[in-house]
Amino acid sequence: MTIEVLVQLGMPEIFGTDNKEDIQEVIDLEKSGKFRSIFGSFVVTPPKTRFESQDEDERIVILGRRHFITNLKWLTLACFAIFVPMFWGEFPMIKALDVNTSFILSIVWYSALLFYVIQSFVLWFYNVYIVTNESLIDVDFFGLLYKNINVTQIAKLEDVNYSQRGLFAGFFHYGDVVAQTSSEQRSDDRSEKSAFTFDHIANPDLTVKIISELMEKENDREHK
Amino acid sequence: MIESINNMETILNGQITVSLVVGIMAKILMLLMLFMSLVMIRQTSLMDRVIKLPVGGAIKSLVWGFFALLFVLTVIVVLA
Repeated sequence: MTIEVLVQLGMPEIFGTDNKEDIQEVIDLEKSGKFRSIFGSFVVTPPKTRFESQDEDERIVILGRRHFITNLKWLTLACFAIFVPMFWGEFPMIKALDVNTSFILSIVWYSALLFYVIQSFVLWFYNVYIVTNESLIDVDFFGLLYKNINVTQIAKLEDVNYSQRGLFAGFFHYGDVVAQTSSEQRSDDRSEKSAFTFDHIANPDLTVKIISELMEKENDREHK
Repeated sequence: MIESINNMETILNGQITVSLVVGIMAKILMLLMLFMSLVMIRQTSLMDRVIKLPVGGAIKSLVWGFFALLFVLTVIVVLA
C-alpha cells in the first residue's frame, strides 16, 4: 500500500503531508501572488529562508516584521537631517569655525546620518516573527548589542488576538498580535504583554487567522 | 589664578581655538563611529545566522561597504 493511498484513507499526519498546504488561507495568499517580497512586512512562505532552530521538516508559513510605515519616524528625521549642514551658517558657533573644520564637521554629520539610517533599517529588517507549521518564533534585537529570541510550539499556544489602535494603524492596516502560552513566558522587554507580542505588524488579522488555523489543526491532531 | 588661565596659550605653546577643539572632537567621533560600524558588522552577521534570508548577503555587503567608506573618511579626517 503506497503512502498516497494511506493519505487518502485519512492518515495524512503520519506521513508528514499534514502541512501548510492544508491551510486554505495560505493557499489563497500564495495564489494571489501578494505578500511575496522578502522586503515586505508580511511574507507568505518565504523562499530560501531558514532560522537557527528550524527542524528538517519544519516549513515557514509566515515571515513578518513591523509595518514599513513604522519606519516613517526615522526616515523623516533622516530626510530633514540631510539638509542641516546647508544651514550651518545660521549657527554662530559653527560660523566661527574655519573652512576645514566645517568640512570635517559635515563629513562627521553625514557619516553619523548614514550610520543611523543603516542601523535603523537593519534593526527593522531583522526584527521578525516567524510562524511555521510547528512553532512560533519571535526575534527581537534591541540596539546592536542585545537579542532576545522566543520560541514556542503551536500546540502550547492558548489563545491569540490582535488589536489596532490609532488612526495610522487603521489607515495602514497594522496592529499588535499577542499570542498567549500556558507558561506565561515574558520577554525581557517587560512592556510586552507576552513573550509573543508582535508590535505594529502588517495584516494582523491574517496572522491571527493563520495561527488560529494552525492551533486548530494541532488540537485536532492531539484529540485523534 | 585668572592670570594663569589667561596665559594658557603660553603654557600649551600654541593657540587654542574653537576650530581646534571641534576638530579634535570630530576626529574622536569618527573613530567612535568606526568602532560602532565594526559592532554593526558583527551584529549583522549574528542576525544573519539567526535568520537566513535570501538578501542577507546583500545586507552584510552594505554594512561592510559602510565600514570601508567610514574607514577611508576616518583616515582623511584624522590625518587632516
